[in-house]
Amino acid sequence: MTAPLLAVRGLEYVYPGGVVALRGLDLSIERGRKLAILGSNGSGKTTLLLHLNGTCKPTRGEIRLDGQPVRYEHRALNRWRQRVGLVLQEPDDQLFAATVGQDVSFGPLNLGLSEAETHERVSEALAALRVTVLADRATHALSFGQKKRVAMAGVLAMRPEILVLDEPTAGLDPHGVTHLLGALQQLHEAGTTLVFSTHDVELAYAWADEVAVFHEGTVLRQGKAVSVLSDRKVMEQARLRLPLLLELAVLLLQESDCEDWDRQLPRSREVLLALLRDRLVPGRAGRDEIDSLSDHDRYSGA
Amino acid sequence: MRAIDQHAWTNRWRNWHPAEKLLPAGGLLILTLILPPLTTAPLVLAGMALTTVRGAGVPLRTLLSVLAAPAAFLLAGVPFLAVSVDFTHGFDLHLSDDGLWLALTTTLRALAAMSCLAFLMLTTPLTDWIALLRRVGVPPAVVELILLIYRLIFVFFERALTSHRAQTARLGYSRLDRSVRSLGLLAGNLFQRALVQARRLEIGLLARGYNGELRVLAPKPTLSRTRLATGLGLVGLIGMTGSLLARGLS
Repeated sequence: MTAPLLAVRGLEYVYPGGVVALRGLDLSIERGRKLAILGSNGSGKTTLLLHLNGTCKPTRGEIRLDGQPVRYEHRALNRWRQRVGLVLQEPDDQLFAATVGQDVSFGPLNLGLSEAETHERVSEALAALRVTVLADRATHALSFGQKKRVAMAGVLAMRPEILVLDEPTAGLDPHGVTHLLGALQQLHEAGTTLVFSTHDVELAYAWADEVAVFHEGTVLRQGKAVSVLSDRKVMEQARLRLPLLLELAVLLLQESDCEDWDRQLPRSREVLLALLRDRLVPGRAGRDEIDSLSDHDRYSGA
Repeated sequence: MRAIDQHAWTNRWRNWHPAEKLLPAGGLLILTLILPPLTTAPLVLAGMALTTVRGAGVPLRTLLSVLAAPAAFLLAGVPFLAVSVDFTHGFDLHLSDDGLWLALTTTLRALAAMSCLAFLMLTTPLTDWIALLRRVGVPPAVVELILLIYRLIFVFFERALTSHRAQTARLGYSRLDRSVRSLGLLAGNLFQRALVQARRLEIGLLARGYNGELRVLAPKPTLSRTRLATGLGLVGLIGMTGSLLARGLS
């Protein structure tokens, strides 16, 4: 068993005013996963994310990158931040240059890349987030959703191994969410590990492999998305509800005589609807239809 | 301000090298300052207006609104130039020929000079000027400051506008005393936000490997000789006509 890509153990953080934000928290990020950090507003998710790229230094506890304890001197931090890319929730906190292309070129130039390489990285990152057409636009003339994608492109252009996203879908309309998740899915398939914070249980259920439930400065439970999200006790303690999709599906499948019902839980509304139709009018929607659906985009804006 | 910026980004000459626009505008500005204004200034004004509207495709209305503010200041100053006060025999107020002449030439000259600047403002976004400053060797610290201010102006403008709307919705501007109070709160709030924003921007930049220098890839437009020559031709033509007319008049 190799060490996780990024591991956090016993993390404590006290703000300079004495406010305790994180109280002894464990989290492990395995390579190639999609991990959702689920918690209600103001639970300290952002503070946790700021630790993952060394912006905040823990009061106690340790962080390991590839099994090695992290160090906080200048050069080590730079290497760390190249491997772990952090995208803030508010894109205006990140975009500073006057045009989109220029802003995205900032990270690669800081890595010491040549202009030709930087050009390549910029077009690659813009294409990955499907915003190539915006390259020459003024940053301040973009819509919120566009700004959000450009801010991500700026981090992506540094080719991080882990992309940490603070509330990536907050403030986006359903179309924007689908668009963004499509782009992120491609990145994930290309090998990027994704970590994102959210309070949207439906999103976590539809899209994450793993979920860590975060409450009052600690992680209550981390594990496979389905098992954590159906853990009523943990979810209630964190003041979250079970995903509607999951609750409905459990109701539907529990009574069926299938042995492995919990393996067939639908993760998109289309699959659930097909299942429902099958139950109401047996034989109309066969298993084939349901199976063919499950490969399609798993999140369509719940 | 947003309208100016909008046109600067979208006009027909957006992608020209800034020097190609600086040459005619700068040349005409110098002509306005050194040649007799009565003949040259109207020519410059007309030339620049035609170039801006016909050439770069900026609507005439926008150009006029840009020129309106300085024009208003100029007009407000005219009476003080035209009228002279004489204290030799008590108090005497009268229009003098010298004063009228001074008022006329000053107004013409100032308007013509403004039209040159308006042309530059409306056809070239600030980013191009920033890139030019960088290339001609202005210290990076100065250029970065301009860059950040340009970017943050829009962020704060947006915030000020939203806060103002929110205050208005709660009747914050319904009476003079309330308006003063609301405006004070708005200013104080913006100041605090500016500090918070600065800290957050720093976090955002650090996450992308910021190490004290804001380097970005700047586009490198090529200089076109034809355009430069045309610009020079325009300056020459207006300069010649202006001085010939002036000689004919005197």
